Order: sequence, then C-alpha cells, then structure tokens
Amino acid sequence: MKQKADWEPRLAGFLCKWCSYAGADLAGTSRKKYPANIRIIKVPCSGRVDPLFILKALRLGFDGVVVSGCHPGDCHYQTGNYRARRRVAITKRFLEYLGVEPQRIQASWVSASEAGKFAEVVTEVTRGLKEVGPNQLFTERQGDGAKTEKQD
Amino acid sequence: MEQRLRSKTRALLEQGKVDWIIGFEPGSLKFTTTPLITKDKNDTDRLVINPFIVNNLANFLTQVKGRVGIVVKGCDSRSVVSLIQDNKVAREDLVILGIPCTGVIDLSKIEKLVGKDRDELNDIAREGDKVIIRVNGKKKEFPTTQTLFDNCLACELPTPQEYDILLGEPSSPIANPAAQEGIKKLKQMTPEQRWIFWEGELSRCIRCYACRNVCPACFCQRCFVEETEPQWVFPAPRWQDNLIFQITRNIHVAGRCTDCGECERACPVNIPLRSLTREMYDIVGELFQFKAGMDKDAPPLMTHYEEKEAEDFFR
Repeated sequence: MKQKADWEPRLAGFLCKWCSYAGADLAGTSRKKYPANIRIIKVPCSGRVDPLFILKALRLGFDGVVVSGCHPGDCHYQTGNYRARRRVAITKRFLEYLGVEPQRIQASWVSASEAGKFAEVVTEVTRGLKEVGPNQLFTERQGDGAKTEKQD
Repeated sequence: MEQRLRSKTRALLEQGKVDWIIGFEPGSLKFTTTPLITKDKNDTDRLVINPFIVNNLANFLTQVKGRVGIVVKGCDSRSVVSLIQDNKVAREDLVILGIPCTGVIDLSKIEKLVGKDRDELNDIAREGDKVIIRVNGKKKEFPTTQTLFDNCLACELPTPQEYDILLGEPSSPIANPAAQEGIKKLKQMTPEQRWIFWEGELSRCIRCYACRNVCPACFCQRCFVEETEPQWVFPAPRWQDNLIFQITRNIHVAGRCTDCGECERACPVNIPLRSLTREMYDIVGELFQFKAGMDKDAPPLMTHYEEKEAEDFFR
C-alpha cells in the first residue's frame, strides 16, 4: 500500500467519562507525552459504545478505534463495562474474520489515575496503525460504479 | 406424522387451548410449502410435513396476538426459545409441536444434480439416507448429503429443544464437515483477500432487507438502517454501507441466531450470508460458550456477563 511519507494515523477514542476520560485528562495535566493522533470522544460509560460507533468511525476513514472504560468491577453504573466487553469482543473478532486488521480496534481499561497507561495505550495503538497503514477498507475502489476518490 | 399433526392441531383449536395455529401447507408451486397461519379448525387438514418445510415459522410468533400452536423443526425451536429468552413471547402462551427434522431439501441442488428444472421433475421423495427423484418414468437416487441445504448438513440439533408434543422419534444429526467448506476457504485467505471477497459479494446487495424481515431474531420495531438521525447507513447504494448493514445485523442477532439459514435462502441475489451468520455463531460459542436458544431460562447473551471472560481483547 502506497502512503505519503508524512502520513499520520487518525485514531478515534471513545473514553468513558468516569475513568478513561479523567485518565486522559490527568495525562495532560501531568504532562505525559502521547501521540496527538487520537481524537477523543467522551461517552458516559464504555457501555454506551455501540458497535455501530466503531463501524461508523472506520467508515468515515478513521484508521483505528480505541474503546476505553473503567476496570472490571469499577464501573460507575456497576455493569456497563462488562457489557461493553462482550460487545467489543464479538465486534473485533467478527471484523477480523471479514478482513479488518486486528490493530485497528483496541479496547483497554484505564482508570482515572492511570495517566501513564493511557499514554502507553495511545502510543502503542498509533505504532500499530503506522505498521498497517492507512484505512482504505471503505474507500471507493475503481470500477464499483461509484465516484472514485483518488488515493495517492 | 402428518395425520397426528392434523388431529392434534384440530383438537387444540377445538378445545380452545390456542387461538392460532402456525404451520406449513402446500405451496402453489411444485415441491414448495408456504406458511399457514389460521384460526379455523378446518384449515388444519391442509397442514403438511414433508422434506420441503423450509421456513422458520418462529418469525410469525411476534406478529400474532393470543395463544399460538406452532410447528417447529430443530432450528426453529431454538429460535422460539430465544424469543422466550428475550421476553418477546411467553412460554405459557405457546403449544410447540416439534418435528424431529431430517433435513430440508435444497431444490437448486437437485436441479443441478438432475440437470432439469424443478417443474420437469415428477416426484422427489426421502427414503432413509437417499433421495429418490422420478423424471419421465425414470428413477434417480442421490445420497441426502448432496441434496440438503448447507445449514442442515451443519446442523447439530435436528430434534426440537423445547416442545409440548413431539411428532415422531428424535432424529440424529447428519453432520457433514463438507458443509463448512465455504467458511474454511474464507479463513485461509489473507485479510485483504477476504475483504475484497466481501466487497464483491456485497456490491450485489440491493438492500431489499429480505434477510432482516425473514429473520426471527431481527424483531426490532425500528431498524437502525432506517434511522436518519444519526444516519448510520447512507441510503446511496454503496457496498460499504451494505457491508455495515450486514455486520451490524450479525452483531445484533449474536446469541439469537441459530444458523437456520433463512437469510441466505431469502436473499434474491444469492449472497452467501450463512458464512457471516455461522461465523458469528461460532465466535459466540467460542468466547462465551453460548449457544442460542438452548435454555429458555438463561439470560440473553448481550444482557449478561461473567466476571472473567474475553480478557485478551483488553489491555
């Protein structure tokens, strides 16, 4: 896959309001370094993350998706993250079967005090995405009848 | 078996134990059946059981009101159980008439084997593990493994799991590993090849939503594809959105899909949808040891959790 030398992956992050978002906040205030590739979307709970969010992000051209919530047992709403876990697990496995690279979807547990872990997750996912290259899964290819977008 | 079904259903209607009977009657075309949904006890004489009872009647359960007597095969009974799990129907409102299934005949396979159109065939009959076809006075024999639907060949539980009346002796699975070859072939491809395969298949999709409408597990009042705010699936006919529809449909029916194969049969452009549903069925089995429609008292898959499971997806 050809790619521009200065290409940087774009990463959508669905972070739970109570843990991971606060963790990301702490990473900022404590001046931890992590790649600026992530675009953070605050959700009330990781259980709010519909598999459609992940699909829509990939469809819109995000190169990867991070879903992050409280550690098991720590959910503000008791069970939201357990439900998220089942959903993300089947979504990830199913997309891998269809041919989406496993690096594109990452789920993690990050608590409000784990700024270091948040930075680590983002760094690692970004590195993984640089290996697999831009997300061209849903881009128009020549000959499928629709208007083709020229890829470099 | 057929006579027993007719007398039982007639008695159920006469005694007022059920308001509706849902079963199969002969279709208008040769070798077909069509769903019969009736309140009239005289209609029960039209009920049939033969190797062409292809539809999953559980789909109609949510569409009639009152107590229902329903005719089910193995896979359909699991769809019924999964509707009970989801509180879509109440067990006490149902009289389940189970048919120990021996597989349903795929007419397109027969046409290929004989080389003739279905209208030209005189008779198709099951005898043990053979299918006997009569054409122009000649008799042709084929093993059943060549004539049944793929999902019947992969069927693990042909006998209904939940029933009030079982019409006949329990049947044993046919279990033919060749039925899974399509999925095996797909798994051997590289991710990129697989994606291109699905692109090719789903660019044919005309989004008629027959797969959704025929599916007993797809019971939402309003489907996400019809949402406009936010618009999950763009209405223009792009294969990307067709794929998103199929992926999400499969995620939504995870833990409800019993691999009955109705979506694939309903598809007017022959997209191999069972390669999707079967994979989701296997993923759910592998990750959560969950089989759809086995236990009517178990909670539905996606509303439940265990403290420790699927942990390798998270860091």
